[in-house]
Amino acid sequence: MNAIEIGNLTKTFGEKRAVDGLSMTVPEGAIYGFIGENGSGKSTTEKLICGLLQPSGGEIKLWGKDHKNQDVRAKIGVLIEAPGCFPNYTVWNNMKLQAANLGLKNANEEIRRVLHLVRMDGAASNKFKNCSLGMKQRIGIAFALLGNPQLLVLDEPINGLDADGMRIMREILTDLSKRGTTVLISSHLLGELEKIATHYGILRGGKMLKEMTAEELNADCPTYVALKTDDAETAREVLERAFGRAEIDGQTGEIRVYNANAEEVAKYLYGNFGIAVSEIRTAKISLEEYYINLMGEGKK
Amino acid sequence: MKRDFIKRLKSMLKVDFMRMFTMPAVYIMFGVSLALPVLILVMTSFVGGEATGETAATFTNVWQAIGSAGGAMSMDLTSMCNINLLYFLVAIFVCLFVGEDFRSGYVKNLFTVRAQKTDYVLSKTIVLFVAATGMFLLYFVGAMIGGGIAGLSFDLAEVGASAGGIVACMISKIFFALVFVSIALTLSTVGKAKLWLSILGSLAAGMLLFTMIPMMTPLNAGAFNVVLCVFGGPLFAAGLGAVSNVILNKTGLV
Repeated sequence: MNAIEIGNLTKTFGEKRAVDGLSMTVPEGAIYGFIGENGSGKSTTEKLICGLLQPSGGEIKLWGKDHKNQDVRAKIGVLIEAPGCFPNYTVWNNMKLQAANLGLKNANEEIRRVLHLVRMDGAASNKFKNCSLGMKQRIGIAFALLGNPQLLVLDEPINGLDADGMRIMREILTDLSKRGTTVLISSHLLGELEKIATHYGILRGGKMLKEMTAEELNADCPTYVALKTDDAETAREVLERAFGRAEIDGQTGEIRVYNANAEEVAKYLYGNFGIAVSEIRTAKISLEEYYINLMGEGKK
Repeated sequence: MKRDFIKRLKSMLKVDFMRMFTMPAVYIMFGVSLALPVLILVMTSFVGGEATGETAATFTNVWQAIGSAGGAMSMDLTSMCNINLLYFLVAIFVCLFVGEDFRSGYVKNLFTVRAQKTDYVLSKTIVLFVAATGMFLLYFVGAMIGGGIAGLSFDLAEVGASAGGIVACMISKIFFALVFVSIALTLSTVGKAKLWLSILGSLAAGMLLFTMIPMMTPLNAGAFNVVLCVFGGPLFAAGLGAVSNVILNKTGLV
């Protein structure tokens, strides 16, 4: 079953179409990476899903029911932009308010559980305004996790987190996904997203440019041999003739030979042309690179 | 369904009361409500007696701080600086309380889960009505203290009132506060995080209604005034509450 099904969703602000006939599907249990440039409509779509904005057209279904349905809304946990906390309240009191909103019976126990989950046990008595950006993000996740939601909608939750915070976040989301929780997560940190996402949706100008699974992305991202030589141009030419596709990376100066074996490439260059390879490695097109290429193609 | 509504409303009320009584603004408003009549009565009696030698335009009787008999409104100090000033304080407090929900982003937490806009409007109206009641009662206490300090007369007959009339007047005034609560609440749902907009709008609306207050809630109020305010206030609040509900449903919350 799909946790989210969106059909022909539109949202206009005056003349501007922030979301323009967007359709997407998020299967239950997926970690859906929502990618796009600033202003591509990611946050607006998430706000529409959560009912914080009213759509101008189209439909949003959560587990097959209208997204305004009270039963399905009770299953959502949200972190949109910053956590909605009162700055002068302690973390604990802010969470108590939300627990009361959710009607949780075992509120104290539940708050302790989620704070422990995001490794924020010691911060309960801190005033929210005194927490660092990273702490606030983790508290926001803890908020979203209150009451064991089955769908998490997270807008840029990794922003502001240190390396350890990102690792913890990865662990939490992966663990939740294994337990069947669906996660819709938008982020500009594609390297981080690539480590956890099972599905992707790439937005551009309020439209869905591409929707795919991690396996499909994997298949779309070829492996290549990256190497450095003294005479890059000559090496590229001979490698292209031999292996079909070879190009020079403008930024690193490396030659990339696609669908080839590193040892074979090095032997070929040295054995046939006497070109010595100073560095060689096998790599794969990353999500970031894939995304940049896709965006570049779109612009063309 | 009904049980679910009551359950939701109960938890929303719990949250709103918890919030209100942990908010410094409510204690500031309570403090101002208590101190305002003391300051007004003491200061004006001093100015009236010492500086001008005239007391007719200022307070001579403590009950003038609560209102005037007959409901006529004049442009003198006793009509302008009495308990009716509290309606403006109530409106400002409503805007602060509701505006904070939008400014902090708390509404995002609230409305993405099970909270319904109707519950929100109803809960806010009830909680803010309780706050307004507290403010009016504290003003009443402050007026008694201020009148005592200023040495003003407590004679009811002098101002054409009776004990029953004073009680009816206070009940009417408290329920009339629902009109201001609901107006400020509606304007806050329009202004959302723009606090200045809701405060200015509420004060402007308050100015328009200001002349109506003495007529609806005179010092010698009777059963008619009580019935009018006790039923009219909630009815007005229900009507505007429905409007607030529509605004929240039709507009974005962030």
